[in-house]
Amino acid sequence: MNFTLHIWRQKNAAAKGKFETYKVHDISPDCSFLEMLDILNEQLIHDKIAHPVCFDNDCREGICGMCGLYINGRPHGNDDGVTTCQLHMRKFRDGDEIWIEPWRAKAFPVICDLVVDRSAFDKIIQAGGYISVTTGGVPDANCIPIPKDVADRAMDAAECIGCGACVAACKNASAMLFVGAKVAHLSLLPQGQPEARQRVKKMVMKMDELGFGSCTNILACEAECPKQIKRQNIARLNRQFIASLFDGNRRDDD
Amino acid sequence: MAHERIVRIHSISKKLLVGLFASFLVVFLFFHMSANLLILLHDDGAAYTAFCHFMGTNPLVKVAEVALFGSFFIHIVLASYLWLCNRRKRPVGYHKRSRTRTAAASKLAMITGSLLLICLVFHFYDFYLVKMNVVEGLYMVKLEELNNSDINEDAIWTADEEGEYKEFTETGLRWFEITSKTNSDVWLNNLTKEDTEILQQVYRNINTEPDFYHMAHEKFTKWHIVLCYLLFFALVGIHIRHGFESLFQTFGLNNRRYAPVIKWCGIIYTWIICLGFSTVTLGVFFGL
Amino acid sequence: MNLDAKIPEGPLAEKWTRYKNSQKLVNPANKRKLDIIVAGTGLAGASAAASLGALGFHVDIFCIQDSPRRAHSIAAQGGINAAKNYQNDGDSVERLFRDTIKGGDYRAREANVYRLAEVSGDIIDQCVAQGVPFARDYSGMLDNRSFGGAQVSRTFYARGQTGQQLLLGAYGALSREINRGSVTLHTRCEMEELVLIKDDNGVERARGIIVRNLVSGQLERYAAHAVVLATGGYGNVYYLSTNAMNSNGSAAWICHKKGAAFANPCYVQIHPTCIPVHGDYQSKLTLMSESLRNDGRIWVPKKKEDAEALRRGEKKATDIAEEDRDYYLEKRYPAFGNLVPRDVASRAAKERCDAGYGVGPTGLAVYLDFADAIARLGERVIRQKYGNLFQMYQKITDQDPYHTPMMIYPAVHYTMGGLWVDYELQTTIPGLFAAGEANFSDHGANRLGASALMQGLSDGYFVLPYTLQNYLADQITIGHISTKDTAFDEAEQAVRQREEKLLAIGGTKTVDHFHKALGRIMWEYVGMSRNEQSLTTAQEQIDRLEEEFWKDVCVPGSIESFNPEMEKALRLADYFELARLITADALHRKESCGGHFRTESQTDDGETMRDDENFMYVAAWEYQGHGNKEILHKEPLHYEYAKVTTRNYKS
Repeated sequence: MNFTLHIWRQKNAAAKGKFETYKVHDISPDCSFLEMLDILNEQLIHDKIAHPVCFDNDCREGICGMCGLYINGRPHGNDDGVTTCQLHMRKFRDGDEIWIEPWRAKAFPVICDLVVDRSAFDKIIQAGGYISVTTGGVPDANCIPIPKDVADRAMDAAECIGCGACVAACKNASAMLFVGAKVAHLSLLPQGQPEARQRVKKMVMKMDELGFGSCTNILACEAECPKQIKRQNIARLNRQFIASLFDGNRRDDD
Repeated sequence: MAHERIVRIHSISKKLLVGLFASFLVVFLFFHMSANLLILLHDDGAAYTAFCHFMGTNPLVKVAEVALFGSFFIHIVLASYLWLCNRRKRPVGYHKRSRTRTAAASKLAMITGSLLLICLVFHFYDFYLVKMNVVEGLYMVKLEELNNSDINEDAIWTADEEGEYKEFTETGLRWFEITSKTNSDVWLNNLTKEDTEILQQVYRNINTEPDFYHMAHEKFTKWHIVLCYLLFFALVGIHIRHGFESLFQTFGLNNRRYAPVIKWCGIIYTWIICLGFSTVTLGVFFGL
Repeated sequence: MNLDAKIPEGPLAEKWTRYKNSQKLVNPANKRKLDIIVAGTGLAGASAAASLGALGFHVDIFCIQDSPRRAHSIAAQGGINAAKNYQNDGDSVERLFRDTIKGGDYRAREANVYRLAEVSGDIIDQCVAQGVPFARDYSGMLDNRSFGGAQVSRTFYARGQTGQQLLLGAYGALSREINRGSVTLHTRCEMEELVLIKDDNGVERARGIIVRNLVSGQLERYAAHAVVLATGGYGNVYYLSTNAMNSNGSAAWICHKKGAAFANPCYVQIHPTCIPVHGDYQSKLTLMSESLRNDGRIWVPKKKEDAEALRRGEKKATDIAEEDRDYYLEKRYPAFGNLVPRDVASRAAKERCDAGYGVGPTGLAVYLDFADAIARLGERVIRQKYGNLFQMYQKITDQDPYHTPMMIYPAVHYTMGGLWVDYELQTTIPGLFAAGEANFSDHGANRLGASALMQGLSDGYFVLPYTLQNYLADQITIGHISTKDTAFDEAEQAVRQREEKLLAIGGTKTVDHFHKALGRIMWEYVGMSRNEQSLTTAQEQIDRLEEEFWKDVCVPGSIESFNPEMEKALRLADYFELARLITADALHRKESCGGHFRTESQTDDGETMRDDENFMYVAAWEYQGHGNKEILHKEPLHYEYAKVTTRNYKS
């Protein structure tokens, strides 16, 4: 298969970027999207045409959340429930023009070409996306029974890989699905209850501070999430947030 | 840090306020639509007129009216503010237009909202501003009130030198014309602005009210106005199609089990509102 | 070089308790004065940093990705072992210990393995408290599945994403410490050099690292009282492996060059259930969890003509009649069937394919069939258990595993070898510790499924917090270490020179070109089965390739910029040396054990044949400069508690 690629090139965060056009030939339909870019890079280096295109990638099996390209108007390209590394060229038609852009959001500044800085996600988690237990001194794992359905729902939410597709897809660059997934995961479990009220406030406040937009329920995030995390997690986040507003037990200590 | 907490409102709180005030509007719409259906009763507008009278005079309704306008205002201002803020969250946009499959109603909520605001201005021009005495419309007055009011004989008759009333003045002639066309035993209605002025010259201390029933009949017999209103209702429908589900989502009242229920309630509600309003308009147009 | 494993005295079951009771401690006020560097944010690194930070030490943690959560531990699918005996099926610490020792083919250190089994239960408790959503049964209790090499169900799992959930648990704990200020996070930083500084007694200690800031390309210096290496394994030396693209062995190799002994490099685990290779452009192999072998049955056709027809695409797997299928694992190993350890399953697959029974377009694949399980349990149950794996398979291969059997083939997965460490996880360089896959300690010659997660977390949560304190106890008076020391200048200089040298070559071939070539050599000659001749060939070819690399590689761009090609080149330069050491180690170990299979040393029916008399030791290699033969040191292994037998999974 042959493709014409229009790729966003930007030397560094400060530089002005623009699209460059490259052509690749004889790509196997079984090739993954990133392998296609590997082939392009080989070609660019070998023929000394340009610097190879920088893009984040690591596990290439759809779990690390490192890769993420905005391909022809969709984060992770034109397939549902996959990351860019699991997108295969058989999903395209021979001769297609493919536009490849980095995630665009105020909170995700471009570092180089298609690589963006997603440390904002880490900062949201650092604000409270965990259960505060110190190593050791915990009860036996089976001492709190958790209904299977609850554990399964928590697992559904916990599957988030933090790739940022939700932010990239959202018209408002909102991180509500990411935050919602973490809040839902932890607040569903009994272990997460003690900190539930504080956690949601801290995380939302951090999310706002870092320049993510607010949710207007368009749900593009849900449509593009490679792990198919559901909108109900955002509802749960809202619910938890409202509960935190009316929580009379909490001392405002920060 | 206390001051920060007061000044800075969480993004979710803003959205909650947008939703909260929208929820009043959702309820109001149903109320408005139900009332409009009274127009279709074959009673020459008696029920609807009585209802309008109640709405126009009851003091509690006045309070509700203020609350309603407040809701509209806050909903619009906050939603626009959110939209402006959100636009700044993606300083560099995408080259390729988004091909993510999302509900159009949600994606277009801001646009349908803005269009609705324009429609609303016209709607107000057609009806509500008459009540505010800004625009001329049709009016009505209670017969009982006329009967109980003193008549200014001077306005009706011309008196000769002996002080005998001989003939109608011009005002008197019009007054006679107006009062003789009464076909309701409660209301003297379908009056123009000029008519009310004459009545007010004749009777002291009468209150005229807008006659929405006849105004509706006047407007909705013109096909282009009907068409505009049908488009207006479609916009309302699209907007609540997003709003209804969105409300539940924002208030966190959505889970896997109830998601389909909420969705269907939203769809049904949207259709009820749209069809309800359209039925009245079309009913008047076709003289049903 | 002195290989003192520092194993505490006393009976096996009491060693760890005794150690903890007698180790030196650092008082809370002094902990603040001590800095620790942790390289790597996988299970071992994140859990160690979180635990040490919580204790009060100041920790600097580094990862090469944009977030600690990307570390490759995240890709572990199947589960984590723990001797909880929740299933009442006769499990115990003792049994987990014995299974692990046996699974490792009696090449692991008893005391370490026992400690691992001992703390395994605590790991589960810890993770559950952190909110790891392990699978549960309808009573709300934790569920278990069984895994290769064990006859009990002791594997805890979270769907097919156990590694992800455990890592996110550790990442949460780490994030908490970052928020509290005890841990400082450095992302997109790659360790390029270890800094050694002599103390007052003339002992060289690990005192810092030089990292390359991958965004700016600048070198940065970090100093600390101790350095923990948790940088994972070196499986990517084979180019195609189940490792992530950025997983690499350079940090460990740099330490090796600075004097840390490298142990058992030839023990490389080949995982039996991976999606087969389909083209030269392929960049990595995808693992299908071993848990699939719980319900899937592995087979190849009995008749060669069927295999040939399948390869040509003239027949489909479902066309082969039941009696024409060879369920070779069930036939050969009746007791364990499809759940034999990984090395055994991998070799059996290779043996069948080499004999001409392989399927798939390349003939390098066997079937993993779920038809029976679906008939027995229903598609719904299978979908619940393995849905995400099946979906992943379908996305990659475009085939529906619910209706046609999956095709699988072995691929490089895990490296049991690594930096030599003693009981305290300290390498031969004082102050340099290695944890997780980066060290060699617990898996012997073969790792059992679901044990890697256990080891990483055990090292990080429950071992290092104790042993590091023991090391640091006498260092409280030193004060913070300055990065102005000349040792830092020299180390930084060395890295710069290496980078400049690579950039200056300006050849014609890409880094990946050489990496692929190296991978082919390694897979071909130092892969699943090795012999004197193949290994010698490998040595020659590696030398030749390395020479060509230094003459003809093309590294574009500049040093001080975001330059992934430079990163890859630096790593590949180390892989050449590492590949040579793997080959040398494989060549010297003239026995078959676990993942190391020498064709000269096999039983009549093709099973591994150990030579306990001559090779029951850990081979720890000492670096002697580029291109020179490394010196072999032996740490003899004594089995006082485990009965040394021939591994038998037949009955």
